[in-house]
Amino acid sequence: MPYSLRDHTADVGVEATGSDLDELFAGVANGLTACMCESVPDDGDRFAVEVTAEGLEAALFDYLDQLIYERDVRDVLPVDHEATVTEDPATGEWTVAASARGVPLSAVVAREIKAVTYSEMTVEETDDGWRAYVVFDV
Amino acid sequence: MTTREFQGIELERVREHVWEIPKEGDMRVPARVLASEPLLEQIGDDKTLQQLKNATQLPGMTKYAVCMPDGHQGYGFPVGGVGATDTETGCISPGSVGYDINCGVRMMKTNLSYDDLQGKEEELVDTLFANVPSGLGGGGVVEGDAATVEAVLDRGMEWALEEGHAVEDDLKHCEDEGVRYDADPSAITQKAKDRGKNQLGSLGSGNHFLEVQRVTDIYREDVADSFGLEPDQVVVLIHCGSRGLGHQTCNDYLRRIEKEHGDLLAQLPDKELAAAPAGSDLAEEYYGAMCAAINYAWTNRQLIMHRTRRVFERVFGRDWEEMEMYLLYDVAHNIAKKEVHDVDGEERELYVHRKGATRAFPAGRPEVPEAYRDVGQPIIIPGSMGAGSYVLRGGAASMAETFGSTAHGAGRVMSRTQAKKDYWGETVQQELEDQQKIYVKAQSGATIAEEAPGVYKDVDEVVRVSDELGIGDKVARTFPVCNIKG
Repeated sequence: MPYSLRDHTADVGVEATGSDLDELFAGVANGLTACMCESVPDDGDRFAVEVTAEGLEAALFDYLDQLIYERDVRDVLPVDHEATVTEDPATGEWTVAASARGVPLSAVVAREIKAVTYSEMTVEETDDGWRAYVVFDV
Repeated sequence: MTTREFQGIELERVREHVWEIPKEGDMRVPARVLASEPLLEQIGDDKTLQQLKNATQLPGMTKYAVCMPDGHQGYGFPVGGVGATDTETGCISPGSVGYDINCGVRMMKTNLSYDDLQGKEEELVDTLFANVPSGLGGGGVVEGDAATVEAVLDRGMEWALEEGHAVEDDLKHCEDEGVRYDADPSAITQKAKDRGKNQLGSLGSGNHFLEVQRVTDIYREDVADSFGLEPDQVVVLIHCGSRGLGHQTCNDYLRRIEKEHGDLLAQLPDKELAAAPAGSDLAEEYYGAMCAAINYAWTNRQLIMHRTRRVFERVFGRDWEEMEMYLLYDVAHNIAKKEVHDVDGEERELYVHRKGATRAFPAGRPEVPEAYRDVGQPIIIPGSMGAGSYVLRGGAASMAETFGSTAHGAGRVMSRTQAKKDYWGETVQQELEDQQKIYVKAQSGATIAEEAPGVYKDVDEVVRVSDELGIGDKVARTFPVCNIKG
């Protein structure tokens, strides 16, 4: 599993790894889903999200923030995440073009994650690829 | 001098229940922890003390950063943290208010006794659960549109009064009478407003809940009389905040601070402490947005309370007025407020950040509603669903010790991930019913496991410290009967 949920006194930490940034970002997003729900049904349609930010951490933050926003306004639990992460060499900006399957909240038992936080956020390259750590506010 | 050390951080004992981390390195002021020995052991066990030290680096921090007896690790500023910054030379820090702006607690009284309730617990918990929206995607008491959200952000509980979701007495018994006139709805983003539309009048999940309780103990009869509390009385406690609208607002401003005040942010040890310099446009905008979110949260709790009155009418077959279901008080425990405090003999206006801490103004302060000005502001401290909650009143020492603040709850000791390994929701639920006659209903069994009584600090000990320090005096204790959550 490319993500795991980590102990945090009040909130929940997600640690994810990936061979590249695409896998890493999708892994963190799948970790976010796991914080909200243990068992995901098969229904729901895919939807796309795209964010652009001034740095890699900011892009991860905005991506996760956007997923939480979509959850509330679409009334769906975003699951099965896919992401493509690219840097614009001219501006140094990072874009996350992603999609998720939106399971209607009426079809799933899920709990609320309030927000993504910057607390202890880590996005780093490792010998095997990439590693991220993100704390979510419960 | 007695000292204690946790993870390389040394604390000096100032006196009973008061510990100080002396100013060193980049700290602008010292930090204080208000705790008994057993509570200090728990506070020293995670990253609370490091986060508290970090918070002292915020510009304009005054006197000291303080950790309340229920403090624990949060993000950026610790939960249970109080920090006052100068409104002219300091800063305002959205991360030090928290994501859930004006997360808070209100208590509604009734004239019912525990005897009236016995035998009806299951019907009551089921009817509450069916009628008070909770969890993810449960909607709200009110189906809001854009105009509704604007009005709520602008006028808070005054909107609820105009629309028939409140009576005048409710406003008189709420902090700031349920409306912050500093609110600026235009400083709330469209994204945040979108999230706020379908959540108006909803509990959410996590540690938020609605609980029917009975009064078990009275500690100060004169104050309890003024509050209208007596043994065996049934009361209702509501704990929730500004929902997605508040969470989004916090993040929107964290990101703007990062982009517009990166220089200040670079000086801080944790990005979550992100702060806008006092006097900047962004500081003003955030203050206006935060006040609007505060209005939203008060209205949210009001709608839930008013809905609860209707539920009681149905279950008990009487009008809510006949059951005297009136608001005791509503307190915020994630908030920053401009307040004037005496600092070394000088009156100064400060942004008092209370993140998981409750205002605890004593008798005589003009900010305390008239109904309580002679006895002190009521403070509501929720415990876990298997332990008591407390009603305190603002203590005489709070202004000098804590910028007029005290604790906000029991405070967690165990992570949610660990709780789900140690507890099974259905088992916790059954044990509470069989052993303590507490009826719990939740959208998700995992929420019950995550919120099991064993994951919290001992609320009795937290309140004992508050009382002995004289920052919040014990008035009454309550015990759960029915609890609903997300």
